[in-house]
Amino acid sequence: MSTPATATAVNTRTIDISATPAVPMSRLISVEIRKSFDTRAGRWLTFSILGITVIATALGALFFEESAQDYVSMLSMAGGIMTSFLPILMILLITSEWSQRTGLATFTLEPRRSRVVVAKFLAGIVLSIAVLLLGASIAAVGTLASPVNGGSADWNLTWDPIPSFFLGTLIAVFVGFAFAMLLRNSPAAIVGYFVYSLIVPTVAGILAYIIKGLEDVIPWIEFNTAQAPLYTGDFTLSGQEWAQLLVSGTIWLVLPFFVGLRLLLRAEVK
Amino acid sequence: MIEVHGLTRTYGGFTAVDDVTFTAQAGRVTGFLGPNGAGKSTTMRVMVGLTPATRGKVTIGGHEYRDIPNPGRHVGVLLDASAQHAGRTGREILTLGAKTMGLPSSRVDEMLALVSLSDDEAKRRLRNYSLGMKQRLGIAHALLGDPEVLILDEPANGLDPAGIRWMRTLLKGYADRGGAVLLSSHLLNEVELIADEMILIGRGKIVAQGDKKSLLAMDSTVSTLVVAEDNAALARAAQAAGHQVTEAGEGIRVDAAPADVSRLSIEHGLVLTDLRSGAAGLEDLFLELTADTQRETVPAPATGASA
Ligand SMILES: Nc1ncnc2c1ncn2[C@@H]1O[C@H](COP(=O)(O)OP(=O)(O)OP(=O)(O)O)[C@@H](O)[C@H]1O
Ligand SMILES: [Mg+2]
Repeated sequence: MSTPATATAVNTRTIDISATPAVPMSRLISVEIRKSFDTRAGRWLTFSILGITVIATALGALFFEESAQDYVSMLSMAGGIMTSFLPILMILLITSEWSQRTGLATFTLEPRRSRVVVAKFLAGIVLSIAVLLLGASIAAVGTLASPVNGGSADWNLTWDPIPSFFLGTLIAVFVGFAFAMLLRNSPAAIVGYFVYSLIVPTVAGILAYIIKGLEDVIPWIEFNTAQAPLYTGDFTLSGQEWAQLLVSGTIWLVLPFFVGLRLLLRAEVK
Repeated sequence: MIEVHGLTRTYGGFTAVDDVTFTAQAGRVTGFLGPNGAGKSTTMRVMVGLTPATRGKVTIGGHEYRDIPNPGRHVGVLLDASAQHAGRTGREILTLGAKTMGLPSSRVDEMLALVSLSDDEAKRRLRNYSLGMKQRLGIAHALLGDPEVLILDEPANGLDPAGIRWMRTLLKGYADRGGAVLLSSHLLNEVELIADEMILIGRGKIVAQGDKKSLLAMDSTVSTLVVAEDNAALARAAQAAGHQVTEAGEGIRVDAAPADVSRLSIEHGLVLTDLRSGAAGLEDLFLELTADTQRETVPAPATGASA
């Protein structure tokens, strides 16, 4: 190998990076938000979540028992729909980098992958909050509209359910995010999430019904069952219920999250 | 500028890149050549941190890639032009890059113009792009941040002849302005026109490196292909002068330099209709060097025409 003949050639062997600031987190977040809306598939997902909420709320306003046409009922229905679908939005933020292979560009423009992960998570939270606020407004409109066929709009919302609803949604999007990092494949992560959120609790319920004694064990190991107190009764958790949430959450959330994170930080992107 | 030291990458028991060491210097175009599966793309992925190295390391301008802040402003990368969301428009793909790097949207227009993608084409979704259009977009993406170093995996793939020529001029100009360009290819003649330096890789190992001249010097055989009006007379004269002669196509192959054959023909008053070097060209050398790493066995070259 020949060496460069001139002094300037020698100087250009190094790149001066001292004047280049890192890509700020705010920019990474805004790019991630843009990425979830700049394809038809992305827009379709968000708008269908809102669309389904609108339809369900309209049906509720018309056909719920009159005593149940109150804001809390409307809100829990809207919240239920959102906690089922917002995780998909979270999942796609991660998995599309692999399924659509955009990771090649994303991770070369920001090779510190942990920063991309943080940006994606925060982008997902921003989107989720925006969608939830829209959901709360849709529920409010539904409540306003409920007197059209009798009954009255009942604004019975107290502070109690709000932290619980919020925690439940946060858990759902976190689980989606963890599954996405673990599997890095859109269909696999989405199916995985629905198995977790729909099939596992159903099977657990059936098993509890047929096997004596299992009923007491399930809230400790099945995360959805452990979350049920967040949405029912007085929306507050007893000490034991918190412990159950923690134990089952370790299995279904903390563990997949950290294993997934570790895999994502090391996985080959191609 | 790009320094690769003892780079090894294994997949299970398979060694895709085997103790590779080379440098791509500033102000030069470095060609990275090898047959399918030689390990070119793997090496390039390791360079930019997409694939972890098993052993060894790569520095770009003295830094590990992940330590370069806002790396798009320093290193332009094109690894696979189709690795973009099929549902995004060309313009959107560039816009996302520009936004990440903190560049104004005018930069996107400049790059689209540079790679000759029209406004109308930029509005189409990537799934509707032709191969060459994807490639142009990929090149535009790599150049967005006005980087000092370019790492391009088969950039000419899918480009039409005019596009290939345009790219050559572009990369050459880029290196002349002090940038370092590393580009991979399996086609030697695609690279030999612009590469100042060539790295030949086969089955994960570097088999040769150097500039065109020094690579050609590795081929020590001297040979001339010549056609005379009277081939038989020329053959006799050459044999009398102590050279080996074999029949080759319409003429003969003599193991002497073209100048010596010409001198011989003048001495004997023989008219030549064709005279050229019969030494194996770079292409042959390339095939020979990577022979045990090729998938197909390539027939021995009959002429030196490919040089
Ligand atoms: N994840 C992987 N697991 C197993 N083998 C792999 C993996 N990634 C790459 N390889 C192997 O490594 C070798 C080098 O592949 P690479 O893509 O670097 O070749 P290349 O020189 O770019 O070839 P081409 O010219 O065809 O693009 C190939 O044999 C490939 O099959
Ligand atoms: Mg390749």
